[in-house]
Amino acid sequence: MRLKLNQLGAWLGAVSTSLCAVPLGQAQVQVTDSVVVVVDASGSMGAEMAGTGRDRMSVAKDALKQVLDQIPDTTHVGILVFPQGNWVYPLGPRKESMLAGAIDSIQSGGGTPLGDYMKRGADVLLDARRKQFGYGTYRLLVVTDGEAGDARLVEAYTPDIISRGITIDCIGVEMASRHTLATKVHSYRNANDPESLKQAISEVFAEVASVDAGQTGEDAFELIADLPEATASAMLKSLSTSGNQPIGESPSMRSVESPSPNPAPSYSGGTTSSQSTSGAEDDPLVLLCAALCVLGIPGLVIFAIVKGKKK
Amino acid sequence: MKANKSIIVGLALSVSVAAATAQTKLFSELVGPGSVGSVKAGGALQVPFIIWGGDMATFHANGGLKTKSGTIFQKQGLNLNLTPGDDFVQQVRDYRSGKSAFLRGTFRMMGQASEVIGSDPRTKGVMIMQMTWSAGDHLISREAIKTVTDLKGKTIAVQQGGPHIGMLDDVLKTAQLGWDDITVKFYDALTGPGSPPEAFKDDLSISACFAVTPDMIGLCTDLNSVGTGAEGTVKGAHVLVSTAELSRSIADVYVCRKDFYDANRPLVRKFVAGYLKATEELVDKRAAHDAGTRDQSYINLLNQTVQIYTEEVLPNADEAHGLLLDCTFAGYPGNVSFFEKQGNLHGFEAFQTASLELATSRGYAKQKMGLFPSGLNYKNDDFLKYLNKTEAKQGERFRAEAVLSEIEELSSGGLLDDRTILSFTINFNPNQTDFSAVRYAAEFTRVIEMADKFGNAVVAIRGHSDPSKTLIDLIKAGNAKGTLRRSGTQGNYRYSLNGRALDLNDTSQLVDAIAAGDFDGVENYNPRRTMQAALNLSRNRAGAVKNSVAEYAKAQGITMDLSQIQPQGVGIAEPFIAKPRSMDEAKQNMRVEFRLLRVSAEVTQESDFDF
Repeated sequence: MRLKLNQLGAWLGAVSTSLCAVPLGQAQVQVTDSVVVVVDASGSMGAEMAGTGRDRMSVAKDALKQVLDQIPDTTHVGILVFPQGNWVYPLGPRKESMLAGAIDSIQSGGGTPLGDYMKRGADVLLDARRKQFGYGTYRLLVVTDGEAGDARLVEAYTPDIISRGITIDCIGVEMASRHTLATKVHSYRNANDPESLKQAISEVFAEVASVDAGQTGEDAFELIADLPEATASAMLKSLSTSGNQPIGESPSMRSVESPSPNPAPSYSGGTTSSQSTSGAEDDPLVLLCAALCVLGIPGLVIFAIVKGKKK
Repeated sequence: MKANKSIIVGLALSVSVAAATAQTKLFSELVGPGSVGSVKAGGALQVPFIIWGGDMATFHANGGLKTKSGTIFQKQGLNLNLTPGDDFVQQVRDYRSGKSAFLRGTFRMMGQASEVIGSDPRTKGVMIMQMTWSAGDHLISREAIKTVTDLKGKTIAVQQGGPHIGMLDDVLKTAQLGWDDITVKFYDALTGPGSPPEAFKDDLSISACFAVTPDMIGLCTDLNSVGTGAEGTVKGAHVLVSTAELSRSIADVYVCRKDFYDANRPLVRKFVAGYLKATEELVDKRAAHDAGTRDQSYINLLNQTVQIYTEEVLPNADEAHGLLLDCTFAGYPGNVSFFEKQGNLHGFEAFQTASLELATSRGYAKQKMGLFPSGLNYKNDDFLKYLNKTEAKQGERFRAEAVLSEIEELSSGGLLDDRTILSFTINFNPNQTDFSAVRYAAEFTRVIEMADKFGNAVVAIRGHSDPSKTLIDLIKAGNAKGTLRRSGTQGNYRYSLNGRALDLNDTSQLVDAIAAGDFDGVENYNPRRTMQAALNLSRNRAGAVKNSVAEYAKAQGITMDLSQIQPQGVGIAEPFIAKPRSMDEAKQNMRVEFRLLRVSAEVTQESDFDF
């Protein structure tokens, strides 16, 4: 049994590591993985980094290049720099020659709207995900010393971004060890620690056969054995419907299951997210489609009435 | 709506049908005894027409029932007299006696007559042309019948001997059912009193009936609606299958007597070329009319059609336009493809095989006597130097992105089942590293044939992955974070969430905790990422299966339109078993589902011809 499980694991791993590894054929929408890097180029990043004789920004740039080197060539990359607010490298296919130049062009100076820019980066990822119907992987890589002028927004947006299924990775430059971005995100690398930068982006296995190589499949199932089917079902639904609405906003339409001419909008006042239970994707396409359906039905009826065939 | 009811009444009066009784009889008995005469020489040639949009191209080419000066046929050197042929049995009698050298009907109707005409070398049939595909015939079912497989054991009403017998045969094949799996009630009329749609209204033992477009509108309101019971509709009645999707089921054709064909091949070629010329002009005129351009010659044709069929049958020009919209022309490229293209699953050879099989198995004929394919030289200048749209290619019929978008929206909106004509599933095994055709030849063949017959439907390949790992990671993340704890011993565990006792049946408490991030931010266990990986994996499974199907078709020499097949990843959203208890149960979730779907017209590409 174990041999079989391991073989399946190897196969699943091969299939799941990169979407582009499998040629998807013609007449088919292509799917890509995306990474958005948010680079802190605030004044504090110009400070000298203790014990290096270099400024934080230079160390951060080298660290970033090293981490990006570990990302597959097919992954789309975007680099957003704050407080300057420009995309030195707009999210898109990776061109090695331009990527390094973009990173080198970053100059430090100014305020630290870290939370705001995490939101902007995440919103671009959510938009990319919407356009790909949810397929692909979406990562936000934050390069910062952690000093934020909007620390409250960082606190609020971080869990919201995570709850949407975006993976947050952080490259910290002399960052406080108890900082939200050091403790609450999926991976943390220290820019000044070569070993930590080498930490590869771990492979994600989608299915159970690959759980803990030393464990048999049956042991893994034991962990969820007590979960009632209905509870499991609801939990899965909650996880898989996190929505593509901008960070900090609630879905504007709770359910797309019964599109009605006057969908009741349900806004909640808070900026933090607790909306992922609703099961609705706030997808403009869905809204547009619902609207078109409503408008289109009388037209179709007229069209159909005009049609006629007798044999 | 009123107009349509009047059509139905009109048709009831005017349409006479092939079958004299509701029971299947040998076609030779229906036609009766008679001797074979030679085709009368001199004067106008008698050519039958029937009530169908494809025949409007004949009217256009001829300028009316008798060939007029300055028309396509006149310039081709033809002199024709078009005669009503809706009584197919009478057509065959006239064909045998030599009154007419031609037969006009659907391919499957020719199959029914094949034994009668094939028993004498002079009257053996040469199929000289495919005119159109139908998009205006429908199988309507009651509410409980959701997909074609639900027809098993049910009673279906159909006109005996008419165009719907072949369509029913195709529907049954799609559902992998035989005629023995259903009860058939035969009716003499296609429409009006004594027809399947009329019977469907009153006889609740009938689960489904065949209908032409006006009757379909009467029963269901339109292609995508369900009858409410108001305004004459039947509550719950909906279109189960339509030739709007099953677009390669009903082929309308002309057949010519072998002796006449051999003696007059250039004339036959001129006739076919003239008809194809007329279709080229008509598809442009029809499109211009739809775009709002007023072309008096087109209006004149519509009015002339009303005159020919009579107002009782076709009340006005708009109805005539609708009749034309219900058919898709084959055109010159369609005819070349139909008669000459190798590996064409909806070509002459494939139709001949199916038609003769149907004719003998359903008791219309005792033996299989085939028809000849056109044998016309399509490279002849009569075609190539005369026609304009000879280069048309059958490109991709669907806009891939729009199809995917529609599938995703239907899927997330829970509306996919309403559009599903048929679905079936394949499962995987742990040791499997590919989706080779060796293992799935039967399923792949089914997909290829289904996609071919249902030229205007889409095959969604929906990948599913197993959710166990996602759930396990969720639990482990909770444990690692300290939000979810388990104590006690196996079989008697107690759980707590954020320090408070947790009842695992309390769904909302766990769902709220997920939303609140109680399982997020743990480095090694990220259920959201696992879930995302499962979504991508399922999409890859679907994509890999699509590629295998495409390769399999290619190896069989079959050209597929890959735009018609769209892979979708469902991930863990629709598990067969939401909480598997073992690897065997988990494997049941690792699957790919094929769904034949009715899609909106917006996702298809416009083209002049279908072939």
